[in-house]
Amino acid sequence: MALTKRKRLSRTFVPPKLMLTSMMDMFTIILIFLLFSFSEEPEKLQLGKDLELPRSTAEVGYQKALKIILTKNELRINDEVMAQVQDHKIVGLEPQDLKASAFFQRLKSSRAQDVDQPGTAPEASHVLFLCDKSHSFKTINNVIKTAGLAGYPNFQFGVLEEKN
Amino acid sequence: MARFSRKIRQAEEEPELNMIPIMNMFMVLIPFLLMSASFFHIKAINTSIPIHAEPPANSIAQKESRKITVVLEIHPDQVRISALSDTPNDLKLTAMETVLPRGSGKEISVAAVSQHLLKMKQQYPDSDTMILIPDEDVTYHEIVRAMDCARSYESEALFPNVVLSGSLG
Repeated sequence: MALTKRKRLSRTFVPPKLMLTSMMDMFTIILIFLLFSFSEEPEKLQLGKDLELPRSTAEVGYQKALKIILTKNELRINDEVMAQVQDHKIVGLEPQDLKASAFFQRLKSSRAQDVDQPGTAPEASHVLFLCDKSHSFKTINNVIKTAGLAGYPNFQFGVLEEKN
Repeated sequence: MARFSRKIRQAEEEPELNMIPIMNMFMVLIPFLLMSASFFHIKAINTSIPIHAEPPANSIAQKESRKITVVLEIHPDQVRISALSDTPNDLKLTAMETVLPRGSGKEISVAAVSQHLLKMKQQYPDSDTMILIPDEDVTYHEIVRAMDCARSYESEALFPNVVLSGSLG
C-alpha cells in the first residue's frame, strides 16, 4: 500500500520552476549601480593599509595627474618607490638640499615631459597628493617644497569624502 | 473536441524567455564590477604653495576693489587669524585679528574659525585667498580641517583659494 502511494507521488512530482524575475530585477539594479560608480572616477586609486587619508567636506573631484603618495612607510611617485619613511622622516630628502634627492630628479623629468607634451598648458600642471593623515607638516613641507622646486606649485590634496 | 480545445490552450500559453544567457552575462559582469568598484569616494582640495611671480598687469584694478588676504596660523595651542591688505596701517584689519585656543585634543574648533572667517568675508566680500601657515608639528589631518573651515560656512563661500606655506623664521 505504502509502495503504491510512493510510486504515485513520484510519478506526479514536477520539479519547481525557479522564479527568475525578481532575481533579474535585483541583478539589474546592482549592475546599474556598479556601472555608475565605475564611470564616476577618472582613474582607479589603490589605497593600501599604510595610507589613511583624512576626511573632508570637499566636493571637488580629482583629476588625472601625476600622483605623489606619502604613506606611513614610503614616498612614491605613481607606483614607483622614491624613498622610505622612518619615524615620519623621509630618508634621503634633506631640507637643506632638496634638489639633490632622487625624488626631485624624478619630478623634474616628469615636468620636462609635461612641457614637451603638445596641447597641454605647462602652467596648468598639478600633482595629486595623497598623504597619510598622521604625517606632520614638517614631513609634508619637504615633499611639497620639492615638488614646487621641480615646477609643480599646484596641488590637489586627495581626501575621503565626508558627508555632512 | 476536447483534444481541439487543449491544442488551442497550449497555443495561447505565453512562450517563456530563455533567461539563462542573460543570467550568465550578469554573473560575469557583476563580480568584475564588484572587484573594480571603490566603496570610498575620493575628493580633492585645490591648493598651491607660494612661488615667485611677477604681479599681473591688471593689479591696479585689483587694488581698487578692496581685497584682503587672510592669514591663518596654526600654533601648538592656538589658532591665530589675521589679514593682509595693500592699504598700510588699516585699523579695520588690526581689529579683525583674533586668537582662538585649540581644544584639549589639539583639534581646531571648526565652528569658531569659520564664524570668524565669515565675519571677515562679510566685510571684504571680494576676497577669496587665505594663506595657511601650520606649525611643524601640526598633522595633515588638522591642515585639511583648517582648509575645510576656509572653504565655506553654512553654504556661503569664504576663502577657497588656500596657499600652504611654512612659517618664516
